[in-house]
Amino acid sequence: MEYVNPEGLRLDGRRFNEMRQIVAEVGVVSKADGSAVFEMGNTKVIAAVYGPREIQNKSLQKKNDHALVLCEYSMAQFSTGDRRRQKFDRRSTELSLVIRQTMEACILTELLPHSQIDIFLQVLQADGGTRSACINAATLALADAGIPMRDLAVSCSAGYLNSTPLLDLNYVEDSAGGADVTVGILPKLDKVTLLQMDAKLPMETFETVFALASEGCKAIAERIREVLQENTKQLEYRRAA
Amino acid sequence: MEGRVANMWRLTVNESKFVETALQSELRVDGRGLYDYRKLTIKFGKEYGSSEVQLGQTHVMGFVTAQLVQPYKDRPNEGSLSIFTEFSPMADPSFEPGRPGESAVELGRIIDRGLRESRAVDTESLCVLAGKMVWSVRIDLHILDNGGNLVDAANIAALAALMTFRRPDCTVGGENGQEVIIHPPEEREPLPLIIHHLPIAFTFGFFNKGNIVVMDPTYVEEAVMCGRMTVTVNANGDICAIQKPGEEGVSQTVILHCMRLASSRAAATTKIIREEVEAYNRERSLQKVKRHPTLAKSEVSGPTVAVKEEHRKSSDQEKAAEISREHVERLDLCSEEPRSNKEEEVTASPTNFKGGPSKWDPYSEAMDVDSLKASLASRGDSVTKSSSKKTTNGSENAEKDAEMSVEEVTGDLGKKDTIEATKQKDGEMTLKDAVKPKKKRKNKNN
Amino acid sequence: MMMRKLKLELPLNQTQKVRFERAMERLKLLTSETNNSVIVADSIHEDALLLKGHGTSEVDGELLANVCGVIVHVDKLVYVRTLRAKYKPEVRDIVVGRVIEVFQSCWRVELNSNQDGVLKLSSMNMPDTVQRRKTSADELNMRDIFVEDDVVCAEVGCIHRDGGLELQASSHKYGKLEKGELLKVDPYLVNKSYHHFHYIESLGIDLILGRNGYIWVGEHVQVQDPLIVETRKEQSHTPLETRQNILRIGNAIRVLSNLGFTMTKEVIMETSNLSNKENIDLHDMLGSEFHVLVAENEAGRRR
Repeated sequence: MEYVNPEGLRLDGRRFNEMRQIVAEVGVVSKADGSAVFEMGNTKVIAAVYGPREIQNKSLQKKNDHALVLCEYSMAQFSTGDRRRQKFDRRSTELSLVIRQTMEACILTELLPHSQIDIFLQVLQADGGTRSACINAATLALADAGIPMRDLAVSCSAGYLNSTPLLDLNYVEDSAGGADVTVGILPKLDKVTLLQMDAKLPMETFETVFALASEGCKAIAERIREVLQENTKQLEYRRAA
Repeated sequence: MEGRVANMWRLTVNESKFVETALQSELRVDGRGLYDYRKLTIKFGKEYGSSEVQLGQTHVMGFVTAQLVQPYKDRPNEGSLSIFTEFSPMADPSFEPGRPGESAVELGRIIDRGLRESRAVDTESLCVLAGKMVWSVRIDLHILDNGGNLVDAANIAALAALMTFRRPDCTVGGENGQEVIIHPPEEREPLPLIIHHLPIAFTFGFFNKGNIVVMDPTYVEEAVMCGRMTVTVNANGDICAIQKPGEEGVSQTVILHCMRLASSRAAATTKIIREEVEAYNRERSLQKVKRHPTLAKSEVSGPTVAVKEEHRKSSDQEKAAEISREHVERLDLCSEEPRSNKEEEVTASPTNFKGGPSKWDPYSEAMDVDSLKASLASRGDSVTKSSSKKTTNGSENAEKDAEMSVEEVTGDLGKKDTIEATKQKDGEMTLKDAVKPKKKRKNKNN
Repeated sequence: MMMRKLKLELPLNQTQKVRFERAMERLKLLTSETNNSVIVADSIHEDALLLKGHGTSEVDGELLANVCGVIVHVDKLVYVRTLRAKYKPEVRDIVVGRVIEVFQSCWRVELNSNQDGVLKLSSMNMPDTVQRRKTSADELNMRDIFVEDDVVCAEVGCIHRDGGLELQASSHKYGKLEKGELLKVDPYLVNKSYHHFHYIESLGIDLILGRNGYIWVGEHVQVQDPLIVETRKEQSHTPLETRQNILRIGNAIRVLSNLGFTMTKEVIMETSNLSNKENIDLHDMLGSEFHVLVAENEAGRRR
C-alpha cells in the first residue's frame, strides 16, 4: 500500500515533515489542581493532575525526601474503532511506567518532600501518537498546577515508510508495519528523556528519523509555550488589584 | 520495582556514593570495564525449547511451547508469538507473587518488541489452515535470580529457547481438507521455527546525570543509576527496538554512542548463541543414536570448551581459552573414569570424599576471592562468583582452573576437592555453583 | 467549586460575550505594561548579584523559572510568584481547614497544601480554662473537641524542614467553626493582610479569609468569655435572613473565584451589594448575567 504518493503527499495530505494540527487547552477539569486537553489531529487526550498532596499510601514511598509521582494511563473504551475489551492491559501498564518516569525526570521532586503527585491520563480518541499526546498533556497539566519543573517535557513520534521518514504518524501509518520512533525531549536543556522504537531500522535511517522526531518536538514545545504564556498572562491580569 | 517496598533491599548512602565515585574514575565495583559484560552461560534442558541463561548472578529460564489456535481476525495467515514473564519472589524480595508488576510487564514488552515487531520469528510459516488454525508460540520467561540486567539475560534465554524449540509436524488432511493431524515426535521429526535474525538486547545504565555510561549493570548499579536504555540490535546492523523509558535525560550524542556500541557487540553475542545452540543440537542428535557414553561425551566436550569461555573484549581471555584447551586435552587423556552429566568424580577419588553436606562450608568462598583477586591483578578478567558448568563437560571447570592463576591450584585444591566432591554427591549442579570449580582439577589429576 | 474556565461552564449570549470581552480588555490595559509573567524554563535576565529565590533555578549559569508565574523583585531578591499552586504555608498565617483524622494527641487537618497540617492537643485552647497541661484524660476526650469533618480555624505555628506543618489554635478566636459555609478558592486570590477575621455587622455574619484559600462564611459567633462555663450549648436556630445573607456572600465569593479576581472584604461586600442593587435573586447569582456584571464592575472599580 502506498503511504506516500510520488508527489510526496501522505494519506491525509500532509508532507513528510508536517505535523497534524495541535489544539491545547489548560484548565478543563474543575476539580483537579491542574488539567489540560491536548489534541494532535484526531488523537485527543485529557490529563488531570492532583497534587502535591498528602501521601495516601505510605508503603509506596521509596524516597523520603522526594515527592512520590504516580501516573495512570488508560484508554477509554470508546477511543478506538472497535470497543476495547479492557481498560487496563499490559500496554497501559508499560505506558504508565514510561510516562511516569518521563515526568518524574522533569519535576523537581526534591522541593516537595512527603507529598504525592497524581497524574491521570485518559485517551479519549486514539489515532496514533497517544503516548506523545499524553506526555504533552501531562506537561501542560503540571505547569497549570504550579508544580515546579526543570523543563517542559515534550514528545513526538516519527516513522519510516516507503523509504521516507515521516513525522507524526497517525494510526493507519503506524499499523503499516514500518518503524515507529517516539522521542521525548526537554527542549531547553536539550536532553532526551524518552526514546522508544519498534520494528527494524538500519542505523543511518534511525538517525534521520530520530532527528526528524526531535524537530517535531521543538515545534510542539513552541506551541505549548504559547498556551502557557497566554494562560499565565490572563490569570495575572484578572487577579491584579 | 514497586509493590513490597517494605521488603525491598535498600541501598545505603555509603554504597551508592562509593559506586558513583568509582565510576567517575571509570572503575566498576566488580572490576569490569565500563563496557564489559559478565560471564554468559547458556544451557539447555531436556525438552525442546527450554533454556537456562546465566549472566553473572542473573539467572533466567526460558520455555517455549506451541499450541494450535484460531488466528486473529486481522491476520488470518499468521501465527502468533506471545511472551509471558514470571518474576518469582525467590529472585528478589521486592517481587510480588501473582500478577506481573510494572517491571515484569515492561520486560515482557521490550523482548516482545524486539522479537515480534522486527519479524525475527517468521509467523507466516506457523500457519496451518488459513483463517482457521495457526500455531501460537508462547515464550515463558522465569526469573530465578535477579543480579541486575534482567532484560539482556531474558532476551538471550528467549532466543536460545526459540532456536532449540521444535514444533510437531502436522498435515492437513481428512475428507474436506479441513482436518489437521498432528504427528507425534516418534512418527515424524518435529520442525524448528524459522528465525530470520537474532535481535540481541543490550542494556546501558546512566550515571552522573547522563555523563557516564556502563553496559550490563549489576543489581547494585541498577539501584544507583539514574537512567537506563535498552537497545536491541541484530548482527546485520539493524536496530530492532529501543527502550529508554523516561528517567534522566541524556544528550543525543550519548544515545548515538550507545547505539553504536550495541551494534558493534551484536555480532559476537550472536555467534556465541548460535554456537551454543549448535552444540546442543549436535548433542541431541548424538543422543538419538545409542553409543558408548564415554565416546559420546568426549567428542562433544572438546570443541565447546573454547566457546564457553569466550569473553568478549580481552585477548587475555583468548589466551586463557587456548591454554585451557591444552589442559583439557591433557586431562581428557589422563582421565579414566567415565564422565557423566553429573560428574561423579567422587568414584575416581574415593579417598577425597569425606562425606556429607555438613562439610560444605559457604565461608570457604573467602579463599576463592583471594585467588580471584590474584588472577584479576594479573589479567583484569571479569570476576563473578558463579561459575556454570556445561552439562556434558567437566573439563570446563578444569579450564576455569587454568584461567585462574596456576600457582593457586595446587595449594588450595586439597580442601576444595572435598567440598566439590560433596556437591557432586548432591547430584544437582547449576544453582549451587557459586563455589569453587577448582577442585575438579585436582580430582581429575588423581 | 473552583470553576476555572468561564466559557466552559456558562453559556454567554452574544451581548454578554461582547460586554465580557470588553471588560476583560479594560482589565488587561490596566495592568502594567511590563510583562513579568514567565512560564517553566523561561530564562530570567537578572543581575548576578541578586539572590535567587523560590521558583527559580540556576542551570549552566542561566537563571530559569521552575513554575509559571510572575517575577517579583524585592530589594535584592528575585523570585517567581506562582499563580495556581497549592498553598505555601508561612508562619502566623491564618488558615481554615477540615479535620481528616484524629490521632493519639493531635488532629490532622486538610489545608490545600503540600502536606496536611497537624494540630496538636497541646496547642489547643481548652474550653474551660485558659492554659493547662493536657492529661491523658484529655487525650481520651479529644473527640469532644473535634471529630472528623469538622471545620477549624487555626494559625500556622511552625514549619518543619521537610515541609511538615504544625498548627496552633491557642487563642479563642480559633477553633471549631459551625453554622456556616466553607468555600474553597485558589490560594493566590487571598492576599496577606492585617485582618482576616471580618465581622459584617449589618448582616450578622462572620467572614474568615483563610490564607490557604479556604473561606468561611457563617453566622456570627460571640467570642466566649473563657471563665464562663456553659454546661450545654443550646442549638439555636439560625434565622432565615441570616442564612440568605450567608448564601449571598458565599455566591459572591464563588463568582469572584470564577472570574479570578482577588478576594478582599471590600470586593466581596461590593459584589454582594451589587447583587442586591440589581435585584438578582440568590439562585441567579451564579448565572451568566451576574458574572458579566461583576466583571464590568471590577473593571470600573479598578480604574
